[in-house]
Amino acid sequence: MNVPRIRIVAEIGLTVALSAVLGLISVWQMPQGGSVSLVMLPILLLALRRGLPAGLAAGALYGVLDFILKPYFFHPVQVVLDYPLAFAACGLAGLFASAWTSAAQEEKYASGLWRAVLPGVAVGALGRYVAHVISGLVFFSSYAVEAGQAPLIYSAAYNSFVLVSAAACAILASAIMPALSRVEGGGSR
Amino acid sequence: MRVPVAFGQYVPVSSPVHTLDAKTKMGLVAVFTVGVFLVDGFWGLLAIAGCVGVALAFSMVPVRIALRGIRALTLLLSFTLVAHAVRWNPATVTLVRIGPLGIDGQGLVDGIFFVVRVILLVVGTSLLTLTTTPVQLTDGLERVMRPLEALRFPAGEVAMMLTIALRFIPTTAQEAEKIIVAQTARGARFDEGGLIRRTRAFVPVMVPLFVNLFRRAEDLALAMESRCYRGGPGRTRLNPSHMTVRDWLVLLCASAVLIVVGLLL
Repeated sequence: MNVPRIRIVAEIGLTVALSAVLGLISVWQMPQGGSVSLVMLPILLLALRRGLPAGLAAGALYGVLDFILKPYFFHPVQVVLDYPLAFAACGLAGLFASAWTSAAQEEKYASGLWRAVLPGVAVGALGRYVAHVISGLVFFSSYAVEAGQAPLIYSAAYNSFVLVSAAACAILASAIMPALSRVEGGGSR
Repeated sequence: MRVPVAFGQYVPVSSPVHTLDAKTKMGLVAVFTVGVFLVDGFWGLLAIAGCVGVALAFSMVPVRIALRGIRALTLLLSFTLVAHAVRWNPATVTLVRIGPLGIDGQGLVDGIFFVVRVILLVVGTSLLTLTTTPVQLTDGLERVMRPLEALRFPAGEVAMMLTIALRFIPTTAQEAEKIIVAQTARGARFDEGGLIRRTRAFVPVMVPLFVNLFRRAEDLALAMESRCYRGGPGRTRLNPSHMTVRDWLVLLCASAVLIVVGLLL
C-alpha cells in the first residue's frame, strides 16, 4: 500500500528520536568494556516496514544527529563513515521490506522472520560494522601507523560491539515486527 | 533504570561565540579541519592550539567540559602512541630497549605529534556543539543544504525530519522511562542475567514504544497536513537567522589565520 510522503517524513523524524533515546540506554556491558545499545533497532524496523529509501534516510539522519549530539572528529572521511554512512547502512534492511510485507499480509509471521527480519537485521548490521571497520583503517592510515595487519584486526575487534548489538536487535525485531503488524491489522499500512 | 532526558553537549552560557550564527561556526570548523591537516610540525600544532585556546576563552566554556571528550579516546590514543613508538626486535639503535622491545625516538616524536593533532581536532570541533543548540545546528544545516535544492535534494524535508526528531527526543525519553518503571513495578528485571535474558526483558518495553511511534507519526502527519504543510521551497520561519557583518568578519579573519598557519608551519 502506498504510504503518503508526509507520513514517511513524520515516521523518519520519530524513528531518529527513538534511536537517540535508545542510544542513552545500555542493555548490557560487554566483558571487555564495550556497551550494547539498541540505536540500530528503530532504523532497522522502519527500513523493514517502509523500504530501502526510508531506511537509508532515517539512518543517515540519525548519523547526522548523533554527530551533533556526540561528535568525534579525527578525519573528514572518518566522520562520514562513522556517522551518516554507518547508520545509513542499517537502512539496507529495507531490501527485505517487500518480503516482510507479503509474509505479513498472509499472516505468515514465522516465515517473514526467516525470509525478511533476520536477513534484514544481519545485512543492516553488517553494513554498519563494515563502515566502522573501514573508518578505523582510515584513522590508522591517516595517522601513519605502519603495523602490518594489526590495524585491520584491531579495528575489527574494537567494533565487534556492533555484532553483539545486532544479536540483541534480531531478538527484539523478531518480537516487535509481528506485534506491530497484528496491531495494525497485517502488513504495512 | 532511568532514561537520561538531557541530551547534547550545549553549555548554556552567554559568550561572543555562542551568539555567532550556526552557519559561521560550521564554516569555521571546516576551515579549522583543513588547517589542522595542513600543519606538519610542532610549531604549527602550537599555533593551532593557541587558536583553540583563544576560541575556548571567548566561548566561556569550562576547560574541563571541553576536554571531556578526550577521556573516551584514551585507549585509541594510547594505541596510536604505542604503534608509532614501540618496535619489536629493532635493528637500529633505539631510545630505550627492554628485551626484544625497543622504543624508537623518532617514532615517539611522531606518535606524540599525531596524538596532539587528534586532541586538537576533537576539542576544536566539539566547540561547535558546545556553543550551539541542536535546534540552531539543524537550522544552520538546512541553510547550508539549501543550494542542493537546485539538484532536487529535499533540504526542507530533511530539516523537518531533524526538527521532529529533536522536538520528540524528550517526549520519547519520558515515555520510555514511564514504560520501564511500569514494567519494573510488574517485576521485570533489566539488570540481571546475560545478553539474551536482558534483551528479552526489553520486549515488553519496546513493543508499546514502537506501536506508539507509528501511531504518533500518523497523528503528526495528519496535523501537519491539516496545517497545509507541503515541505519544500517557499516555507518560511518564525525566527529566521542570518549571518551578520560580525559573522563574516570572524569567519574571514579566523579562516585567514588558520590557512596561513596551515600553509607556513
